[in-house]
Amino acid sequence: MQLEFSGVSKAFPGVQALSDVSFRAEGGRVLALLGENGAGKSTLLKIMSGDIRADDGVVTLDGQKQSFTSPYDAIKAGISVIYQERQLIPAMSVMENIFAGDLPRNGAGFINRKKLKQDAQEVIDKFGLNISPSEPVGRLSVAYQQMVEIMKAYRRGSDVIAFDEPTASLADSEITILFKLIRELRDEGKVIIYVSHRMAEIFQVTDDIVVLKDGRTVASFPTAATSEATLIKAMVGRDIGDTYAKLDRNTEYGDTLLEVKNLVTKKVKDVSFTLRRGEIIGFSGLVGAGRTEVVRAIFGADKIISGELILEGNPVKFKTPADAIAAGVALCPEDRKEQGLVLFRSVKENISIPVLSRIRNFIFLDKKQEVTLAENARAKYKISTPSTDKLVVELSGGNQQKVILGRWTSGKMEIKLLILDEPTKGIDVGTKAEVYQMVCDFAKQGIGVIFISSELTEVIGVADTIYVMHEGKITGNVKRAEATEEGILALAMQE
Amino acid sequence: MEQQKSKFRIGNLFKSKMLTLILLLAVVVGVFTIMSKGQLLNPKNIRNILQSITLVSLLTIGAGMLMIGGYVDLSLGGIGTMAALITAYALRAGAPWYLALIIGLVAGAVTGAFNAVLINELRFQPFIATLATASITQGLGYIVNHGQQIDIDNPVFNFIGTQRIADFIPYSIIISLVLLAVYGVMLKNTKFGRSMYLVGGNPQASLLSGLHPKRVSYILFINAGVLSSLAGILLAARLKTANTTGIVNQQFSGMTAAILGGISFGGGSGGMGGALIGILILNCFNNGMTIVRVTPYWQTVASGALLLIALAIDFLRISRTKKVS
Repeated sequence: MQLEFSGVSKAFPGVQALSDVSFRAEGGRVLALLGENGAGKSTLLKIMSGDIRADDGVVTLDGQKQSFTSPYDAIKAGISVIYQERQLIPAMSVMENIFAGDLPRNGAGFINRKKLKQDAQEVIDKFGLNISPSEPVGRLSVAYQQMVEIMKAYRRGSDVIAFDEPTASLADSEITILFKLIRELRDEGKVIIYVSHRMAEIFQVTDDIVVLKDGRTVASFPTAATSEATLIKAMVGRDIGDTYAKLDRNTEYGDTLLEVKNLVTKKVKDVSFTLRRGEIIGFSGLVGAGRTEVVRAIFGADKIISGELILEGNPVKFKTPADAIAAGVALCPEDRKEQGLVLFRSVKENISIPVLSRIRNFIFLDKKQEVTLAENARAKYKISTPSTDKLVVELSGGNQQKVILGRWTSGKMEIKLLILDEPTKGIDVGTKAEVYQMVCDFAKQGIGVIFISSELTEVIGVADTIYVMHEGKITGNVKRAEATEEGILALAMQE
Repeated sequence: MEQQKSKFRIGNLFKSKMLTLILLLAVVVGVFTIMSKGQLLNPKNIRNILQSITLVSLLTIGAGMLMIGGYVDLSLGGIGTMAALITAYALRAGAPWYLALIIGLVAGAVTGAFNAVLINELRFQPFIATLATASITQGLGYIVNHGQQIDIDNPVFNFIGTQRIADFIPYSIIISLVLLAVYGVMLKNTKFGRSMYLVGGNPQASLLSGLHPKRVSYILFINAGVLSSLAGILLAARLKTANTTGIVNQQFSGMTAAILGGISFGGGSGGMGGALIGILILNCFNNGMTIVRVTPYWQTVASGALLLIALAIDFLRISRTKKVS
């Protein structure tokens, strides 16, 4: 089995997404496709899956030239691409999703549910998973939904399976399961293509690496023969070095900013912690451990059942996020697109939301002032957009995150507590480093920061103290100097 | 592709949208002027068009604002009809004109609030909740006077409903145009107007950024209730009677004009300038078909086709800009 790209090019209006991309992926090996946002990885995957057609060049599978006109063609040829956005039907069962498009039928043309269940169970057993074939997919965790996607691809008999950032929303323990599956598929001789931003994973699970930059293949080598530094250099064209060691951190803390005492909500059990001005505390734990729910409760977005919040020495009760914002609390939510941004409005309109009341002349919005605020944010965070009138949906993930940061620090409001929930999700390496430094800068200004991340290296690298959660409870906390990935993982998984 | 340098400026989106609309209006006016041999632009006919615009405008403002905020209300016709009957009933019972008017408008506001409660507190889908309210309000309309119409004989109502400036411009249209302008300015230039776009575009993100989506929702439904009540009452004033059909048939014209005017059904975009042109397009089109003697059956078919054409133009324009991301 062998998948080969030779001289593949693709242009979109105004940009050359891919130019003369050539590489070969062998069966029985995992090939990493690496590159910053905008390097052309997604375009390549879309060509592979038949979503779009290349302008130039050929894709061959085992020497046979392929020309897909639709995703259906690609699937028939044995290529499955598993995207970040899961393509499952939540209300349907696991078995129906696995066999979607190919449900077994009986003589009368109706679905043969018995056979469907048996076949699905076989696939599930093959992967050694503990889920029921009749469970609706929507009720499974994100990790298991991903497993269902993989089973779907496997069931189709795909020879080539490509993963687009498969671990973006998985916690470390779930990643272990995913990697086990990937290795099994590889050992069956399949071609596996693995797209990810996360360095550690690339070294853990891949055999070969192809680096894309600005739509070109700039480097390729066997994983064993390279190093993280080499890869980063190839990706960004410069040496980042040890990102975390280079951070210019805050070393002096002020007085206590926030005290959370015995916080209980629907999904949070008895959480207490203290945050000082200028301190960065990290929250680690598996997906669903209750980290997001803790900060939502603090922010007034979720109902607090019992417990106390003390901000700057005063007990506070925020009924809505607006109350929290008025008190100087800001939240950058986990899901940028669903909860953070109004995608089809402009950059400046997204930045001015919390300060609309403060940029008024009588009752009318002062639009000049709005532009100034947005331009300040653009300059401060190097938001790359030709104009602040541009719709947010057209910006890259990293720039979208900067828009949200710009919203809270536009200068028209004073924030005291900044909550960042997975701020680097889906952001390329270069921008990640920028975000880390921004976080440290906030701390230097005396802002207390809560930093939630599923990436262990990141939370250890950025936070001063790391709180670990498991099933709604805090299971421990460690200082950065003493933190190890193993130690945190142990706390995150403790029973 | 994320890091795109698009050739055309997205900031011009609104302008190009307006351009499309104005062109469409020009085409409609042009075609019917030729087909009717100039009859369309005959002063007498313009007078008719102005008359027909009044009511639709009010419904378009109410429905359009709801749509910008991401909602839909199918009960506007029912509310307006009920409110007119209540006002007429109050007048007949001897209430002074202003009191009767206020009672009618309050009835509309209360019903709008009722819709907002169903949707925000009981979490009904807007479509279903307002479908139920449509039926309830129409039923209540029948109950007001046992299904009979109520004649209105009040000098103030007669004046507003039937008198014209220089025997040409109906006084009632001034109400509509002033409201269109006020709402237009409010949408583009105030915090509340901006919140509607943001809440319509993404209620979750708006909430987490410090806006109050629920409050916006209440205001929108109450506002639409009041405006449709006003429309119902103005129609009754013009006809000198409130009947049980009222403005039920006009409510979809209001929504159609809003969509024609570029207010997207999914929320978050559009404005009153576009809505006004949408109203003009719809009314010139309907009026034009009548004067060139298209049968009412074909008129109905053609109205649907017009809406599809407008949506198609909008879709093509938007997909050209969205493809980039």
